[in-house]
Amino acid sequence: MLAGDASADVRGRLRAAGVQSRRVGFPSTQLGNARVPEEVTIRRVVGVLVALVLCFLPAACSSGPDGSSSTSSSSAASDTTLGKVRAAGVLRIGTEGTYAPFTYHDPTNNQLTGYDVEVINAVAAKMGLRTEFVEAPFDSIFASLQSDRFDLVANQVTKNAQREATYALSAPYTVSDGVIVTRTDDSSVTSLADLKGKTTAQSSTSNWAQVAKDAGAKVEAVEGFAQAVTLVKQRRVDATVNDNLAVAEYSKTTGDTTVKIAAKTGDTSEQVFAMRQADTTLRDAVNEALGQVRSDGQLTSISEKYFGQDVSQGEASPEPQGSAAAPQSTWDLVRDSAGPMAVAALNRTIPLTAISFVIGLAIALVVALMRLSRVGIVSQVARFYVSVIRGTPLLVQLFLIFYGLPAIGLTFNPFTAAIIAFSLNVGGYAAEIIRAAILSVPRGQWEAAETIGMGYTTTLRRIVLPQAARTAVPPLSNTLISLVKDTSLASVVLVTELLRVAQVAAAPTFKFFALYGVAAAYYWVICLVLSFVQGRLEHRLERYVAR
Amino acid sequence: MSEQHDEQNRDEPRNADLRRKPQPDGRPLLEVANLAKAFDGVEVLRDVGFEVTSGSVTVLIGPSGSGKTTVLRCLNALETGDAGTVRIGDVSVDYATRPGKRPLARLRAQSAMVFQAHNLFPHLTVLRNITEGPVVVQGRPRDEVETEARALLESVGLGGKADQHPYQLSGGQQQRVGIARALALDPELLLFDEPTSALDPELVGEVLGVMKDLADQGRTMVVVTHEMRFAQSVSDQVLFMDGGVVVERGEPAAVLTDPREARTRTFLRRVLDPI
Repeated sequence: MLAGDASADVRGRLRAAGVQSRRVGFPSTQLGNARVPEEVTIRRVVGVLVALVLCFLPAACSSGPDGSSSTSSSSAASDTTLGKVRAAGVLRIGTEGTYAPFTYHDPTNNQLTGYDVEVINAVAAKMGLRTEFVEAPFDSIFASLQSDRFDLVANQVTKNAQREATYALSAPYTVSDGVIVTRTDDSSVTSLADLKGKTTAQSSTSNWAQVAKDAGAKVEAVEGFAQAVTLVKQRRVDATVNDNLAVAEYSKTTGDTTVKIAAKTGDTSEQVFAMRQADTTLRDAVNEALGQVRSDGQLTSISEKYFGQDVSQGEASPEPQGSAAAPQSTWDLVRDSAGPMAVAALNRTIPLTAISFVIGLAIALVVALMRLSRVGIVSQVARFYVSVIRGTPLLVQLFLIFYGLPAIGLTFNPFTAAIIAFSLNVGGYAAEIIRAAILSVPRGQWEAAETIGMGYTTTLRRIVLPQAARTAVPPLSNTLISLVKDTSLASVVLVTELLRVAQVAAAPTFKFFALYGVAAAYYWVICLVLSFVQGRLEHRLERYVAR
Repeated sequence: MSEQHDEQNRDEPRNADLRRKPQPDGRPLLEVANLAKAFDGVEVLRDVGFEVTSGSVTVLIGPSGSGKTTVLRCLNALETGDAGTVRIGDVSVDYATRPGKRPLARLRAQSAMVFQAHNLFPHLTVLRNITEGPVVVQGRPRDEVETEARALLESVGLGGKADQHPYQLSGGQQQRVGIARALALDPELLLFDEPTSALDPELVGEVLGVMKDLADQGRTMVVVTHEMRFAQSVSDQVLFMDGGVVVERGEPAAVLTDPREARTRTFLRRVLDPI
């Protein structure tokens, strides 16, 4: 039972953040990624950024309907994508990998699978293509599509007017119904009209919120479906409206019988594949293949495999399948995931931290010396850099470097982009630390060095910096330890770092609490080691100081 | 502590330990003329001029803020004058022409400074403090410089301290390392900026003792100090400064015991008989 499960709320929120966002509404205003609650604000930032990039990129890349869009690399997509795809024999697909049962990693073999994955594989097979999956958080999936990181999004993208205006959308491959969820013992709701005067809990930006409002219900804003269900169970609200697939998946995974589907709303939503707006020939080819997959019964069988019903045609209302798959125990899951997470820590999180910190320190030293320069303009440039870096969120910096720079012809792979962003960020913060540390060295030291004939560089290297190091080590250690944890943001730019691996492992089972706990332990251990090193270093640097 | 050991060493003859004994020839080593300097529009030096003959000791006295230290710093190019010329040996700088880095470096290389706060490098050993200039700046071989540095340490009574760090030494010992550091550069001129002002009274003697030894060896020295007895017994020339100008200049016996100027008399009375 949900009530007895300590992680239910966390899981639920994570799950729900996933469910509602990608099935409805516009990505720029949706909270899509399955992440810890503290990242809700981050998601908002990402949302805004996605909106910005979406507004900006199409404008920058395709100058108009006449197709004069050959100026940018990402618009090389224009209408030659189908040709390029056929030439390469590979269709690149963007998907989340953390949204069961649509796109997730099978816990038994860690292979990417799910309804959407199998459907697009079948479609690509009809087109005579192989598939190559790029896993991206939903928050950034459309930005990645626009910047040509892949050709098509297969991630339960709900068709709506805004998306139709911005992308080339395929024919639907999932059709779902809106349903009203109430407590099992509540019989007061049997139709949409019964919501009048009731209170519902909804994601404020979802179209289901609008449905509930239109029916005369009061809407309490929540982060996602599971939070909404929790409020229903706690009798704080009367009902919540969502689509039947999301509700079925929830019931199946949690086994929760205290809530029920009380009624259908009569609304349906259609899920489609999204491609860049200009890729209409690719879209047509995909539609043709999808039609074949549908007509030869493959689509129905994939649907039945995952939902026990055909969800590809509409009018589907799958029954909860509580015992469909033997759930993996939390302990087994943690044990199986600990290895891959350690690998991610060793080959992503730690190198990302170490390389960025070293480059960042070099930048910081230069910037600190510029700040200390007597030449006004040099000092002002450094001041401006520090101000921009400290005055903007790290997430925004990551985002602009990875998704924004391709618009001006600078495309970096994910790891490089993350290194650049983190190095610049460390550079800004550490510059002020180093500047203060240099200023803490008495002026007499400079003069003594000058009087024995040393120049600026020699004085700095042999006399001032060794002494400044003592002052700088504690605050620089803070910066480093923050950086270790900040690397978790790199998943936004498609780096499969530690937290991302935890997410991927947790997604099909909804055991976010346990796996995020493991991730937290890893981060903590890394930081413990760094704190120990800091202690030793401080001790070493204190050697020459009388106490 | 090894204070006693040092005290004993101080009075032993050490001439042999110095690797270079300047040969006094009577010609002026240092010439300063019309030196002027203002900080943010406030005039601190005006028309300062004097000579120092090779092998002689010149003492600058005067109330605080009179410009003594600024004069010294202009000699070492730690401060650049606004006008006036400074010639040390065969290097001459005219501050009115806004000299660049290179001429200033050449002037600086002619002298070495001993600071009031000694300004030893805390992260280096005593030996490295002394060898850093000759090795890093002058590019001389480390072995050779280290041998000389050990001899210099011996000569200032700190033979056993080469491998210690400055914080392990007393104030007087630190200042003697500062003197050794200056000597290691083999300068024409030694500059002392109130070398004993920051020391506890009982440590002043060991530093003045080393300075007296240097004077006896014929080193050319310019010393800013409040130690009137040192001025009286060791110096060849005393300059009294007040308000940025040289008020009175002459032999110590004349300036210190029978000053011509009223300002000099007032200052001396305050210093010698403060209560």
